[in-house]
Order: sequence, then structure tokens, then C-alpha cells
Amino acid sequence: MAKMHKRHDKSDILIHWFNAVCWVLLLLTGVGLIQNPAIDPFGSGYPEAMRSLVGGGGNLLAIHEGIGLVWIAGFILYLIVNFRGARFFLAEVFSVSPARDMGWMLKKMVLMTLGPKPLKAMGMDPELPAQGFYNMGQKAFAQVSVAGGVVIAVTGVIMYLSDRTFGAEATGWVSWSIALHFIAVGLVFAGLLVHIYMAAISPEERPGFKSMFTGAVPDDYAKHHHRLWWEKAETEGEQPTE
Amino acid sequence: MAQQLAMVIDAAKCIDCKACVAACKVANDVPEDQFRNWIKPTQDVPAPGVLTARAKFQPGACMHCDNPTCVDACPTGATYKDPETGEVVIDDDLCIGCGNCIPACPYHARFRNAAKRKADKCNYCPERRAAGLPPACVDTCPTKARVFGDVNDPESEAGRLYRKNKGRLTRVAARTDTKPNMFYVGDPGDPTWGGEAVVPASMVAMKEAAPLVKGVVALSGLGVLAMLGRQFLAGNDSKEDRDG
Ligand code: HEM
Repeated sequence: MAKMHKRHDKSDILIHWFNAVCWVLLLLTGVGLIQNPAIDPFGSGYPEAMRSLVGGGGNLLAIHEGIGLVWIAGFILYLIVNFRGARFFLAEVFSVSPARDMGWMLKKMVLMTLGPKPLKAMGMDPELPAQGFYNMGQKAFAQVSVAGGVVIAVTGVIMYLSDRTFGAEATGWVSWSIALHFIAVGLVFAGLLVHIYMAAISPEERPGFKSMFTGAVPDDYAKHHHRLWWEKAETEGEQPTE
Repeated sequence: MAQQLAMVIDAAKCIDCKACVAACKVANDVPEDQFRNWIKPTQDVPAPGVLTARAKFQPGACMHCDNPTCVDACPTGATYKDPETGEVVIDDDLCIGCGNCIPACPYHARFRNAAKRKADKCNYCPERRAAGLPPACVDTCPTKARVFGDVNDPESEAGRLYRKNKGRLTRVAARTDTKPNMFYVGDPGDPTWGGEAVVPASMVAMKEAAPLVKGVVALSGLGVLAMLGRQFLAGNDSKEDRDG
């Protein structure tokens, strides 16, 4: 059997798919809660359809709030179970080495859309700079989704409490929370489109996709996609994973 | 023609007894110091023995406008204009009390209900109407200054009054023209006290960010399409996964 490298813990795999399912449900219900011609993301009958599906806007709001609270509880549970893993993950995704990573990002974007020819024509080496546990694309998305997730959770709780405990003097906080919640979701969603393509559709990343179920990637894949991580594993033995 | 529930008020009949204000509070369980309706005193407050001043009183409440600026300020449609009855409705289940609609009403007809923690205002007493009764303020008015009904229905009392006085009806003017559906027969005193519809900065920010957010999502979607296109047209020409 080919040599494998452990990449994700069971709790990492669980929280990732739990988060993904919550996100899909929260997006479907949340978009249905916006009904103002100036904002409605689709400008269609989607909010109306969604509301009649669940028997009214009030029900849709309650469902959205319920899933949101479960989502937050899931992350708190994950932090309790695997705090070390969360710390490793955050340290990895927020450590950027500018020259190497920006070069990787620019070249990768050209390679993925136009191929190696434009880079060669510009006299650049199409070879990508070596990357660590995560490449810069993964780090960028992880940064957006962590920062966005915190904003979404905090503003969500503020909105949830608005008609439960807050007085009239707190409506400024609630109203700004609505705006920030919307903007943060929009930005994470933009990243999510690329994330899903890269992780689940792009053939090159197939071993990475499988690792989100099995927890491990083959040696070859680690060597060519996450060279710095692979080297470390070779010289220091298996690293703690995210 | 769809309905337009409205009030036609004969200001000359109002004696400023405030029975409508009290009846509304009781019928709708409105918290202390908060009111869904009002009677505006006029500039000339009459004094005993002085005959120059003439009393004018202006009963009012939510005017269920044709151009409801409060609806524009609501992000979720929790407040909306009912196309069938012309009422401006608040869906209590959907409203979270963010407060956006409150400064958006130039007549200060809205407030955040201190007990429910949600937006509140006159709703023409739907529970009473369902039982065949007029709204509490209308029912209680001893001089019948407030007349309620569908002004688009020539058979209704409000409709008849509206038609008969068409040329001389007054509406309260505001700096933002909301086309209110509250009509005064007789002199209601100052009809120009309406203010400006103010949409909170947070709601303006959300409206202005919306096209930018959509733009970022569209750009990202185009990127994915470009990658998909390349994947299918050019095939996967990366051989980096294999050693050697
Ligand atoms: C719904 C479909 C999704 C699929 C198919 C998917 C797939 C994957 C896969 C295969 C990985 C592992 C990459 C690797 O370690 O090599 C991954 C990682 C990750 N996923 Fe997802 N994911 C999905 C949704 C989401 C959502 C909704 C979020 C958050 C908003 C998210 C956030 C992340 C993050 C932060 C990582 C680690 C950093 C990275 O690899 O980019 N994923 N995902």
C-alpha cells in the first residue's frame, strides 16, 4: 500500500461536514429572509416561495435561528473536543509568507484559468512555489471563512437577542448586525464557490477531497501539493494535523 | 379596484377628549408611555374668555401610506403594504425589532413596543374587525369624528364621506411625500408638521453594499466557470502528481 500522511482528525472531518451542511441550510433559509427590492440577492420570488414552503416568514426565521444556534453550538463543542487541532489550524491558515504565497496565488490563478502558456510568454516559470500544510488559496478561503464566521455568529446572536432581551436603545447594534451579517455571508459565499470547485470538482485535488473523508493523503500528493509540510513530515516524522 | 382601508376624520367634530387614545391603549395592550394614536392640539390653544382663538384638534395615527417609507426601510418584508386591503402591516413573527422603520416614518407613527420589543403602530384593530366591530378609536369616539372604512368603496361610510368632500380633503404634508391615507374634513389645524423619512445609516450601507457583494460573488462565479471551461477544453495537463 502506498505511504499515506495523516491530514485530518476525525473531529476535523466531522466539524467540516457539519459546518458545510449547516451552511447550505442557513444559506437557503437566510436568503429567503431578505425581502427588500434593493437587497434581495435574486430579485425573484425566492423569499416568497421559501416562506410559503414553511408556512410563513415567522417560521422561516425560527428555522434559520434554530440552525444558526446549532451551528454555533457545534463549533463550541469542537473547540472543547479538539482545541489543539483548532489552534494548529488557525496558526497554519494565518501564517502567510508574502513573497512565496503571493507568487503562488497569482500563478495558480493564471494556471487554473488560462494554463501555463501566458506565464511562459511573460518569461515566468510556471512551476508553483512550494506550499505548506495549506496552499495560499486554501489559506485565503480559510481566513475569510474564519473571520466571516466569527462576524456571522456574533451578529447572528445580537439579532437573535434583539426581540428577546434588548431595549430600544440597542437597535443601532441590531441594525448594523443585519448589514454586517449580510455582507460577511456574501463574501464567504463568493469564496465558497471557488472552494467547492477546487475541493470537489477539480481533478487535481481528488486526493484532498478523499482526505476529507478518510483523513489521509498519499505521499505523492503531499509531496507535490504541500511540499513544505511533506518535507517536515519526512525529516521530523508525522506532524500533528489540523 | 382593490381596497384602501383608511380614516376620514372630521376634525371639526373632535373635542380633544382623548377617548380614542385611551380606547386604543386598552384594546391593543400598548405599554405605558407608548401610543398608537394621538390628538394633536393646534397652535391656538383656547383660553377661557378669549374669543379670538378657535379650537382645532387633529386626531391621527399610522396613515397606511401609498408610498410607505417604513416598508422601504425594512430588510425582511416584516412590514409591508397589503395589496388587498391597502393596510401597512407588521408581521410580528418576522419582525425582530431592529428599529429601521421607526425613523423612516415622517409622522412618528411607529415605536418599538417596550413589551414585545418589536415595531408597533396602528393596525386598525384586526381582532375587533374580525368580530365585526370597528377599530377601538372609531367605536369609542363620542362625536364620531373618526370614520373608518374602504375609501375605494363608494357604498362604505368612509367612501361616501371621501367622495362627498373630495375637493376639500386635507392630508398631513411631510418633507417626504408618503401619500398618506388619512383624510381630514374640516380644518385640522396645522397640516404641515410631517418630518422627513430617515433611513438609518446601517440600512443605507446594506443597500449600497448589496450590488458590491453581488459583484464579488459574480466575479467568483466567473472564475469557477473559467476553471470549469479549462478543465473540459484543455483537459488536465498537470502531471505533477506523478513522480519522475
Ligand atoms: C459543500 C461542499 C464542500 C466541499 C465539497 C468541501 C470540501 C473540502 C475539502 C475536500 C477540504 C480539504 C482540503 C484539504 O485539506 O486538502 C476542505 C477544507 C476546508 N473547507 Fe470545505 N467543503 C465544502 C464546504 C465548506 C464550507 C461551507 C466551508 C466554510 C464556510 C468550508 C470550509 C473549509 C475550510 C476552512 C477548509 C480548510 C482550508 C481549505 O482546505 O481550504 N468548506 N473542504
